[in-house]
Amino acid sequence: MLIREVLEKSVEQFADITAIKWLSKKEILSETYAQMYEKIKKIRNSLAAKDFHNCHIALIGSSSALWIESYLALITGDNVAVPLDVALPVEELATLINRSDSEGLFLSEKQASYAETFLDSCPKLRKIWILTENKSESSSDSVNNISELMQDKTETIADAKPSPSDLATIIFTSGTTGPSKGVMLTQENIATNVASVEYESHPGTVLLSVLPIHHAYCLVMDWLKGFSLGATLCINDSLLHMVKNMSVFQPEIMLMVPLMLETVYKKLAAADPSIPKELIAGKVFGGKLRIIFTGGAHLDEFYIEKFAEYGVSVLEGYGMSECSPVISSNTPAQHKAGSIGKPLKNVEISFQDGEILVRGSSVMKGYYHMETETSETLKDGWLHTGDKGYLDEDGFLFINGRVKNLIILSNGENVSPEEIENKLSLFPLVGEVVITGENNGLTARIYPDQELLTKSPMTEDEIIAGLQQCIDEYNRTQPGYRHITKLILRKYPFARSTTKKIIRALAEKDEPVSA
Amino acid sequence: MNQEMKFKELIAQYSSVAAEDITNDMRFREDLGFSSLDFMSFLGEIEDTFEVELEEEEVLSILTVEEALNLLESLQEA
Repeated sequence: MLIREVLEKSVEQFADITAIKWLSKKEILSETYAQMYEKIKKIRNSLAAKDFHNCHIALIGSSSALWIESYLALITGDNVAVPLDVALPVEELATLINRSDSEGLFLSEKQASYAETFLDSCPKLRKIWILTENKSESSSDSVNNISELMQDKTETIADAKPSPSDLATIIFTSGTTGPSKGVMLTQENIATNVASVEYESHPGTVLLSVLPIHHAYCLVMDWLKGFSLGATLCINDSLLHMVKNMSVFQPEIMLMVPLMLETVYKKLAAADPSIPKELIAGKVFGGKLRIIFTGGAHLDEFYIEKFAEYGVSVLEGYGMSECSPVISSNTPAQHKAGSIGKPLKNVEISFQDGEILVRGSSVMKGYYHMETETSETLKDGWLHTGDKGYLDEDGFLFINGRVKNLIILSNGENVSPEEIENKLSLFPLVGEVVITGENNGLTARIYPDQELLTKSPMTEDEIIAGLQQCIDEYNRTQPGYRHITKLILRKYPFARSTTKKIIRALAEKDEPVSA
Repeated sequence: MNQEMKFKELIAQYSSVAAEDITNDMRFREDLGFSSLDFMSFLGEIEDTFEVELEEEEVLSILTVEEALNLLESLQEA
């Protein structure tokens, strides 16, 4: 099965239905399935005409029609799409462009100033297209607007189709130690995941996409699943406007991470309790919302009950980029609160010492250029998820712990504590540091550097102020989800094992000096 | 209601701290318990309530109530 077949079937069936809607200033713009696919074909054919075959091509930008059309042009042709997190610092993005061997890049207009850095520091990168349909002001060999790929003259170019086992996309995900890992997903991995998530909805169903577009959950379940059903996908222009855009677009279905449900619930709860809940729901949700699919992190059952009072079913699922991404999901027809649903029909589940193992057609090919990490995660065809869980007597999957040292925040972002600890350790005042995830944010427990304090004695307040400065400086260079929101000053060093490693399990137990 | 109080009433919708107890030196994340998304959503409401336009990038460095109030005032003056 190919992603292209899924998309072409929808274009044939739903040609005149609106595929995408977005806001430009305050005006709502839209494209039908037929109009969208015309653009996709032009980009795909132009890439072929420019000799981009079997190339890795990165994408950097927030959600936009041109971003998704470029992505689809890559994965419905014979190229590999590498979506990157637009919120990362420019140096980190350059590293990922290099690590993914990307030869081309689609770059949003807002980040156009990064182009020079990328061309200077990424030797394999030979072309950057800025995601704007305006004609390029100056013609350059290496940077052009995407309008260059949307000319009419490329229809006659031979149209290369991939095979199901070909790589379609590389998605970077946080590792427990060391750098992030590039998850390699094939055509079949993704196409079968789209087909195996079971829910039906009428053509033209309105979905509002609010998740970051470089995430597998957003790409596959908002966009590809939505398109396979003939849905109308609406783009949230900014997280500043998520709640407002629910009233603007009036979605029927949304995908959210738990953090989003928590914020929306605060708006519901802040309303005057004498107003009927139906009216509050109409004001906050736009009046048509009936389903929220959620995943990426654990959701407290409280929210399932509370949203039901406002007429919205919250259906929790479970997945990871390595599984394209959905492994199990509650559905409108089969759901159990507190569970993460039944495994998809293309998924086999087993357990080893309580750890959930997954096998099936959506399990990744491996991590790009990381053989050791691949062999640690994929053993005899089984993917080791790092989560502990069990199946109940009705076949619903439950999670009850983690094997790997990875912090899962309620926005679905996986954060490697060791990666942040290494960064903070570079500040002279930081002696030892342990990062933990608590209450939706990250806490840094720091034992200050004793040698420095012996040389230049400081009061406790001065130490706290000094450490807070280090944290503020670190936060400024990081995307919001990696910000440290709480500092705890340690009076004693952390307990260490015989191999001199900090014992994380004990890190939270020592008495702090102050919090 | 003056602008600052209206501002704090909006903060209180996302926080367990009551509007009258919110001081300008309080930090959104650490002292008021805002999540990163609460903060974004709150600023979206500031745009509508006070008819200003904010960019995601320019709000990332805001840590305290005072810094947010200063940004609002500078946008209103512009």
